[in-house]
Amino acid sequence: MSHVSQVLWAALAVGLVFGVVGQRTRFCLTGGLRDWLLDGDGRRIRAFALAAAVAVAGAQTLELTGVVGLGRSLYLQPQFSWLLFLFGGALFGYGMILANGCGARSLVLLGSGNLRSFVVLLCLGMGAYMVLSGLLAPLRLWLAGLTSVAPGVAPPSLHGLFAQGLSSGVARGLAASVVVLPLLLFAVGNRAFRGSVRDWLGGLMIGALIPAGWFVTGWLGADDFEPVRLVSLTFVAPIGDSMQYVMLSTGTALDFGVVVVAGVLAGALLASVLSGNFRLEGFTTPQRMLRSMAGGLLMGVGGGLALGCSIGQGLTGLSTLALGSFLAVAGILLGAVLGLRGPLRLPSL
Amino acid sequence: MMIQSVLPDHDAGRRGFLRRGGALVAAGGLLVLVPGLVLAREPWERLEAARDVIGERTPRSDGIRLELPLVSEDGSSVPLTVSVDSPMAADDHVESIYLFASGNPNPEIAEFRFSPRSGRAKVATRVRLNESQAVIAVARTSGGEILATSRDVRVTVSGCLTRNDDADVAPMQQPRVRVSTNANGDGPAEVLTLINHPMETGLREGNDGQPVPRRIIEHFRAELDDQPVFEARLFQAVSANPFLRFYLAPEAGELRFTWTEDTGETAALSEVLDPA
Repeated sequence: MSHVSQVLWAALAVGLVFGVVGQRTRFCLTGGLRDWLLDGDGRRIRAFALAAAVAVAGAQTLELTGVVGLGRSLYLQPQFSWLLFLFGGALFGYGMILANGCGARSLVLLGSGNLRSFVVLLCLGMGAYMVLSGLLAPLRLWLAGLTSVAPGVAPPSLHGLFAQGLSSGVARGLAASVVVLPLLLFAVGNRAFRGSVRDWLGGLMIGALIPAGWFVTGWLGADDFEPVRLVSLTFVAPIGDSMQYVMLSTGTALDFGVVVVAGVLAGALLASVLSGNFRLEGFTTPQRMLRSMAGGLLMGVGGGLALGCSIGQGLTGLSTLALGSFLAVAGILLGAVLGLRGPLRLPSL
Repeated sequence: MMIQSVLPDHDAGRRGFLRRGGALVAAGGLLVLVPGLVLAREPWERLEAARDVIGERTPRSDGIRLELPLVSEDGSSVPLTVSVDSPMAADDHVESIYLFASGNPNPEIAEFRFSPRSGRAKVATRVRLNESQAVIAVARTSGGEILATSRDVRVTVSGCLTRNDDADVAPMQQPRVRVSTNANGDGPAEVLTLINHPMETGLREGNDGQPVPRRIIEHFRAELDDQPVFEARLFQAVSANPFLRFYLAPEAGELRFTWTEDTGETAALSEVLDPA
């Protein structure tokens, strides 16, 4: 089996696990924030924090042991636009509150029979392609040109920042610790979370899928002549890619992201049918449909600008400790909190 | 009198108007027809570099295949495979395949030369396309037959590209070769080659605003026991770190690969080929 087929089969496995786990544990940043800020239930947000801790620890272990060099990834480019990361992240965060779930969550919900998510996903994919290569791409390039900054440390990550005064290995360990430990403390320090098996499983397994993705593209996909692009889980561009793939597959090659998207859908479908939770749901009012469309579009546009979503930047980007990813995550959280509280608050669904 | 003197003038004017009108209609018709005629022609008939290879002959389009993605978000590295159906026998084989990019500043991409010992007229590489355009392949057989095909590629910008490392690549370093013979010993062996090289086009400005001088690998040759079996002429449109995948008929011998830069510098690598 060629290294490309190995990557694609492994991507299917990663997607299936994500779909099953996402469906059974209701892993979701949007839902986690809403439960926490509006209902005082912090279990799901802590599952997300645990996932982030596991993702960072796993990815940094891969890097430290030399199995996968993350420096070739999208997140560790020497320059990034602070404006697009922050503003794009905020658009994404607000969009996911509008649409009641991020891209990955919408895939899981669609697999469980929620047809509203289909509208969200179509708008998300279209919005993403609009900013990546379509109508809004010139605007994105112009803004990126105006606001790009080079952090001036190599690699442009927390590790690079610490390595200014410390040896590389120590700096990496320290940089990973200052991210992982607070996240772990936040998650495990809560009694309600500690007692919730569902959220433990969700956090641990989704978190482990991030280094698994790095391993698949960076180790299985390594080749002297035709290397596979180094990526892990993200759900903005790949949703657009999947839409393009179903329309242009005769002239397009299958890649990791598209297969993961298919896997998540299939995994969620499988889990919901087997557990008897599959139920078709649609829109009850046109207002709700408008909200889904706007949310999907904002997530696509914002995720395209910030180069990632709650998973793509929030877990995968963060796992590389890239400075830009911290900014994008701050943007996503800011946008989401604005959607839940304050003058721009959206009515609860 | 007045009327008589006016009417002929008036008539003449009207006739003139009609004549002019007729000419306008005819010209309009031509305007509609001419692009129609131009569009009806094949892309290789519109490109001078391709016409030079084809000459007066009429190429056929069956038996030659060009594989490129329909949409490419990275114009600096578009995977391309070209192949021609041919027995690759001594008296009937493909001699050369030429690749052209109709919309690049310099239309030539590469020229590949085969021998019967190539085993298969098929090459894969990665190319640069600076906009959406038609990519053209023209092949010439030992019998003098010409084959041509083209494929439209849409090139878009993308936000999901990692930085271009071209500038950091040290030229002529780390030549790499992998020969994978068929498991049961029959059929041509697949050869993958790659060398580190920025393939500077000479069209790019460096960080200091000065044009970066052109520096490319111009020539690649594979020899089996000092006999050339496959050669490639490369132009600026071949991507950085030029990659070539081609085939060799199963024979034992010593394979020698040579890359030649436009500066005259060469890099070489040898491998013993043993199909058993």
